Amino acid sequence: MAAHLMIDRKYRPKNGVVKWITLIVLSVFLLLMLMPFIMVAMNSVKTEAEFARYGPLSLPHGLNFTSLKDFWVRVNFTQPLKNSTIISLSVAVLAVLLSLLNAFALGLGKVRGRIWILVFFLMANFLPQEALAYPLYYFAKFFHLYDKTLSVILVFMVIQSAFGTYLLSSVFSTFPREIIEAALMDGCSKLKLLVYLVAPLSIPTLSVLFVFFFIWTWNEFFLPLILLPSNASQTVPLALAINQGQYGMNITAQSASGLLGILPCIIFFLIFQRTLTRGITAGGIK
Amino acid sequence: MVTKIFKLVSLVLTGAMILGMAACQSATPAPATATQPPAATATQAPVATQAPSATPQPRVLDLWYYEPPDGSLGKAWAAAQQQFLATHPGVTIHFELHTFEQLQKTAQMVLNSSSAPDLIEINKGAANAGTFAVDGLLTDMTTEATKRGWDKILSPSIQTTCLYDPTTGIMGSGNLYGVTDYGEFVMLYYNQDMFTKYGIKVPTTADELYAAADAFVAKGITPFATAGAEYPAQQIFYMLALSKANRDFVTNYQLLKGIDFHGPEFTYGATEMVTWVQKGYISKNAVNMKAQDMQNDFEAGKNPMLMGGSWLFGGFQTAKLPFTWSEELWPGNQISPGSGGNLWAIPAGSKNKDLAYDFIDITLSKPIQTLMGNAGGLPINADTSQITDPQTQQFNKLFAQLVASDGIGYYPDWPVPGYYADLVSDTQELMNGTKTPSQFLDEIAAPYNAVVKK
Amino acid sequence: MKHKTSSIYKGYGVFLIPGIIAFLVIIIIPFLVNLGISFTKWSGVRAPVWIGLSNYQRLIGDSVFWLSFRNNLILLIAMTVIPVIVGLLLATFLFDYIANNFGQRVSSFFRAGFYLPQILPSAVIGIVWAWILQPDWGVVNYILKAIGLSSLAHDWLGDPSTALLAVMVVMVWFQIGYPVVIFMAALQRVEPELLEAASIDGASWFQKFYYITIHLIRPEILVVILTTTIYTLKIFGQVYVLTGGGPGNATSVPSYYAYKQFFETQQVGYGSTVSLAMAVIIVLLTILFINIQSRQENAESV
Repeated sequence: MAAHLMIDRKYRPKNGVVKWITLIVLSVFLLLMLMPFIMVAMNSVKTEAEFARYGPLSLPHGLNFTSLKDFWVRVNFTQPLKNSTIISLSVAVLAVLLSLLNAFALGLGKVRGRIWILVFFLMANFLPQEALAYPLYYFAKFFHLYDKTLSVILVFMVIQSAFGTYLLSSVFSTFPREIIEAALMDGCSKLKLLVYLVAPLSIPTLSVLFVFFFIWTWNEFFLPLILLPSNASQTVPLALAINQGQYGMNITAQSASGLLGILPCIIFFLIFQRTLTRGITAGGIK
Repeated sequence: MVTKIFKLVSLVLTGAMILGMAACQSATPAPATATQPPAATATQAPVATQAPSATPQPRVLDLWYYEPPDGSLGKAWAAAQQQFLATHPGVTIHFELHTFEQLQKTAQMVLNSSSAPDLIEINKGAANAGTFAVDGLLTDMTTEATKRGWDKILSPSIQTTCLYDPTTGIMGSGNLYGVTDYGEFVMLYYNQDMFTKYGIKVPTTADELYAAADAFVAKGITPFATAGAEYPAQQIFYMLALSKANRDFVTNYQLLKGIDFHGPEFTYGATEMVTWVQKGYISKNAVNMKAQDMQNDFEAGKNPMLMGGSWLFGGFQTAKLPFTWSEELWPGNQISPGSGGNLWAIPAGSKNKDLAYDFIDITLSKPIQTLMGNAGGLPINADTSQITDPQTQQFNKLFAQLVASDGIGYYPDWPVPGYYADLVSDTQELMNGTKTPSQFLDEIAAPYNAVVKK
Repeated sequence: MKHKTSSIYKGYGVFLIPGIIAFLVIIIIPFLVNLGISFTKWSGVRAPVWIGLSNYQRLIGDSVFWLSFRNNLILLIAMTVIPVIVGLLLATFLFDYIANNFGQRVSSFFRAGFYLPQILPSAVIGIVWAWILQPDWGVVNYILKAIGLSSLAHDWLGDPSTALLAVMVVMVWFQIGYPVVIFMAALQRVEPELLEAASIDGASWFQKFYYITIHLIRPEILVVILTTTIYTLKIFGQVYVLTGGGPGNATSVPSYYAYKQFFETQQVGYGSTVSLAMAVIIVLLTILFINIQSRQENAESV
């Protein structure tokens, strides 16, 4: 498994110092990238008065969690948290499965008109979401799914799998034909081919999709805003909007709740990072 | 290999399970549970569930609004909820605190569905309430209002924001589709301590206002805080224009009868605003600032004066600013921006209209109105002698004065749907100097005249 | 033999059935509905009024739309070109150099860090970058003044000559993580033996990178280019919170323009027209792209 880690001695720098310098430079770069996060975090623990008086760039005078507590209680945060988790997990799983099915046909099987079918699937990404809003609203009402989380799950399952189909089918088309042909001629059914050979080989890509779909769906705001009007069904990003009033914004609460809102995504990403790196070398095919 | 398949299978099973959970969750409709009336921290979590038994289902008033619970309106309406429950045994309130953004963008969709509540807070103006009225989504409350005497409580200029023509949606006449229980207006807030510190006189006339502004500029201080990315900048333009306007102009403008954008009022507003930028009365750097930034600047003592709405008053009081501050009607203006507040509206499909009417009644009642006043709000039916804080009393007196002198000017973005964004973007260009006042006026005239032509 | 070979490529169609049904209902029908609405004048609730091609005529002469379209094209530099190039280099660097010298965990740590901006909600992005770019006390101007370059200090988001540039910088920051994650997953398909063999043959780092690595992960590169382009042509949220399309229309983008028609001016018919115009452009680009991609895939498999 770690074969590709132990490559080439030629890659090892002759000078140990160079490697540490590059690490430091990279770390500085990363720190710059993450500076906005640090600023948001700093301002999450200030009181509103402190923020107004000393501005966002000042260091907090101690840790204050009142805005966070108020926010939690005000939106009954466990409810949107639950809704978001169910929606994002469902979409992640379903969209990956759907992508797998589609990509299998398009990437491996040379289905007739596969370019047009691929474009067909990618159409989910062509229209901006506001163009979908009115039709989906009327559809949801018609199917009695308005204000139900299932409507959002179905919609995003489709939208996300457009990307998944595209990425996965592109990857599948690099699979060595000989292996596929050999397996099929040995009497392997297409379903078995998919489940036992193709899917396991594409675990890194499937994991990428799984993580992306979860995070993308979690952060979706607009279509859930349209389809989930009441508080019982709202998601985390919708709940976060409570900090934006008609005339002003509660900035410390927005910062604190904003970070709280993405905590599940960060945790999810960190957990699944390991699957992103667990590679299967081509040798595994044999 | 086996482990990989195992992973795949378990993923599929997890997916099926989750989907099953989701389906189950969406199968049961959002329960109408008994909500304990919100106390100091308003929650919308159902605290106790009334188990429906053999007795007939208790009635539930479905109530949605977006005023934050710590503001004067939030406090008043929380008290109203308590009173409603006390006077309506056997009835419960299902209250949902919504976000402004959501109700602003999706109100039309919600009202047009079965998820609509019994009583909802909506925005006033032709673009909002007017559109909903034309679409047949709101209940006509005219007869009920006369029956309950609301038309006596709502003064004519306040009633303007409650009346909408059912065919055109234009505000000001027609049926009563909304009821407001508070008012708003835009005024001058000032930091008394800064005036004292620099020995500048607090202005009471337009000349004194300009003298004070010049004096502050001379000391290197930007006199006025403002925000170009949201509503404040366009309100400066409008306030300046109103200083040259009369009642007829406002009526013609607001009711889409058509006005001359290059007439004296708006021309003055535009050219004067450019002068303000050139003289340094407002900072060019405010072009991309948000309203919250403007408030923060005033609270931090960066700018001594602020053209601000009455909605800021309660917040300034709660913030216990570290300086003496006060407020007055904008010097030199007969008419200032202002109006009745956001509206209570009853969706046309509501099954509990009588309960909704009762609730509106309570919010208009003297005790609740006085509570609102004491919390820093602008009630329209309070017993002003009961307002304890002198500054708040003064604040309420200013509004009463404005109403009595027929000085309510509404807001610049009301006449046309979507006008707000145009005004923001065009005012930014005016401030930046990328458009001349004449070009600016042409720009803002276009959407308005397009609607008037129809 | 021939008969058997062709038969293994049949029968895949059945796997497409769930996808096609789902997409028909949720995407295609709304798409067609949009097409229909674009020929009408509609406020969203009552019946639409047929007006034929008026909306399209209006679009052609709509200078605000074309300005926002131009802005969008400029944004492509920040949201596609730079992220793909930088992302590729960064991903390779993390995957090879960092992972070899400091271990998998360190390189994963950096990857997570670079991806983090993609997770932040738009509203928070708007707030925090406003703090960084604030003309009076923001971080950027503060540093410029501190090092004596105060003549370079601008009202980054409020000055029409710098607003789009400032938005571009923010979008580069936002977008970099996405290609890094995809490319790092893709690099796993590069067999190390190939690289070793090339080294032994005397190939330089760049030659290996260009002829082997890029060649092998070409599918992912093309996917990233196309998807970031599509994303850019639909960008809305982040621009909206940073500048609201302002000052004036300096940073306006078509997606926001369409949104305005749908939800602010209640001109749903015109909003549909704008959306469809953008969708058509995206469709054409996509078809072009996928054709190129497919031709390369066919060349490979020969």
